[in-house]
Amino acid sequence: MYHAYILKELRHHRHRTLVNILGIAVGIALFVSINAVSTAYQEAVSLPFKNLGADLVVQRAEKRAVNSSQAGPSMRGIRLPFSNQLLSSDDLDKLRIFPGIDAMAGSLLLWNFDRGGFRTIMGVDMSQPSLGPVHIKEWLAKGRFPEKKGEVVLEKHYAKFNNTQLGDPFTIGSRSFSVVGLLEIREGAQIASTNIYLPLADAQDLMGNESKIVNLVYLRLQNPSRLNQTKTEIMQSMPGISVASSDAILEVMGGVSRISDQFSLVVSLVALAGAIFLIIKTMLGNLVERSREIGILKAVGWTGGDVQKQLMGEVFLQSAVGGIVGVAAGYLISYLLGYLAIPVTTPWEVNLLPAFAKEAGAAAQTIRLPVSFSVGLTAAALALSLLAGGLASYFMGRRMAKMKPADILRRL
Amino acid sequence: MNNKSDILVGIDLAKTYGELAVVKGVSLAIREGEFVSLVGKSGCGKTTLLSILSGLEHPTRGQAFLNGKEITGASEDELALFRRENVGFIFQSFNLIPTLSAWENVALPLFPIQMSEAERRRRATELLDQMELAHRLEHLPAALSGGEKQRVAIARALINHPKIVFADEPTGNLDTATGDAIMAILNGLHRKQGMTILMVTHESELAKTADRVLHMQDGEVLS
Repeated sequence: MYHAYILKELRHHRHRTLVNILGIAVGIALFVSINAVSTAYQEAVSLPFKNLGADLVVQRAEKRAVNSSQAGPSMRGIRLPFSNQLLSSDDLDKLRIFPGIDAMAGSLLLWNFDRGGFRTIMGVDMSQPSLGPVHIKEWLAKGRFPEKKGEVVLEKHYAKFNNTQLGDPFTIGSRSFSVVGLLEIREGAQIASTNIYLPLADAQDLMGNESKIVNLVYLRLQNPSRLNQTKTEIMQSMPGISVASSDAILEVMGGVSRISDQFSLVVSLVALAGAIFLIIKTMLGNLVERSREIGILKAVGWTGGDVQKQLMGEVFLQSAVGGIVGVAAGYLISYLLGYLAIPVTTPWEVNLLPAFAKEAGAAAQTIRLPVSFSVGLTAAALALSLLAGGLASYFMGRRMAKMKPADILRRL
Repeated sequence: MNNKSDILVGIDLAKTYGELAVVKGVSLAIREGEFVSLVGKSGCGKTTLLSILSGLEHPTRGQAFLNGKEITGASEDELALFRRENVGFIFQSFNLIPTLSAWENVALPLFPIQMSEAERRRRATELLDQMELAHRLEHLPAALSGGEKQRVAIARALINHPKIVFADEPTGNLDTATGDAIMAILNGLHRKQGMTILMVTHESELAKTADRVLHMQDGEVLS
């Protein structure tokens, strides 16, 4: 292989080289962007759970009022959400020793209805510092997180709407609290987003001094790859319990998320295959255009293998450059798409708001696609670009082998 | 092979394309160091015969021996290697690679051979110097005149120290003066270096400068 010859050929036929490189780049860019966006989509969907450090959320729904869309006249004062009835101490004991559970944290979600509307309250278990709604203390905008009973943190917009500031007294039911912090809810916080956060003991007091009660349990698994198995095992051994994971969000979102989950690789490979087909067609077309040159090379003593090596050098160089440009373009497109906010729908069972608070039974929150660089995807894209070059070389070699120098030179 | 001094022998060579017989049972022999012209009208089959004798093309029938080796049964790659080591070509339309400089065009047959770039360049430069083109080493073919291009092509034909040079209408694309200069070079190669040359031409006057003239008509060699 004569490297200077390769470079001179590619430089001399700039237009042809550019078309080939762009062809590969477009195919690779499609492959990278579809996969990167798909992965980001999966990431976005799993964000609500990731933000809590939880793999599973366990709860028990009220039997008679599942997914009710109307609030009856009896819904006054502080009460449990329909989907979050109290978990018994038996339930908690079973979960604590359930095989494959790494850590467990509980919280008590309450709804408070009064004349002015409703508010959501979350009693936070402070004993587990890295699991459950306690994570949201990272989102504090002002003040601090509650350290003792009688202290609350308010969601910033809720506090503003109610003209409440840091240090102000705050009443829930008949009890008085002090506002010690304001926090700003971030993206992907659907399953921990309430108006008021207070220590679990205070929330339990609000429910009538019932100690050690919770209605939401967050589980972290020792082996997250066993998520579905563990989920099924818990539901089988504890009748009436519902167990949610990020899959629940994926299920209610349907459409694009399902496509991105199941078909992104196929779609991107089909796009890439289309691009490769066009590249091969273009390169084979180039071969016809270059038949004179091939005839000369063969006439002066180049074997078929010598000519093919030379052409392969050109093809692989174009493939490599096209691959690199395609990866860069693919990530650029993906990062630009990452600026778009996508709605992530929360299924009713893990939605903390009353069903009537939204028009639909499920709440949607927008999340920016968390596009990130993947070494694996980049390596796969570059390997595919070289594979495209290999395929093009193979077909060029077959076509070129049939070219007889005498036939070519006779036509000149 | 009938005679040890015959470097090129053709026996009953024939070539047909479908129903069309282009070469019809030609037998000939060219001795080492001989300059032979194959002259005939356009379309009489002389270029096809040259292609068969040089190993560019397989005959439909017959045998060809070049430098003691039968080339008619060889594969494409075997023929390519054989041409690289034994044959030099000069074409009417020069057939230079437009993206390569003059010296690189000359060194083209050497690229597949394990050889340092410096050595390739040295050999190409030496030949271009003999062709009085030392000042044109880095020029692309597009920057050369017709005569210069053909001199580069002659240098390329000589780079592998061939046993025989096949020249197909070497002056066909050149004006008379330039054509004469090219013929002078070919004659010089033959006389001074003892190069065996088989030249195809349709110009009788040009053919006469050779040691021997073979006339071809309707696919047959008459004399």
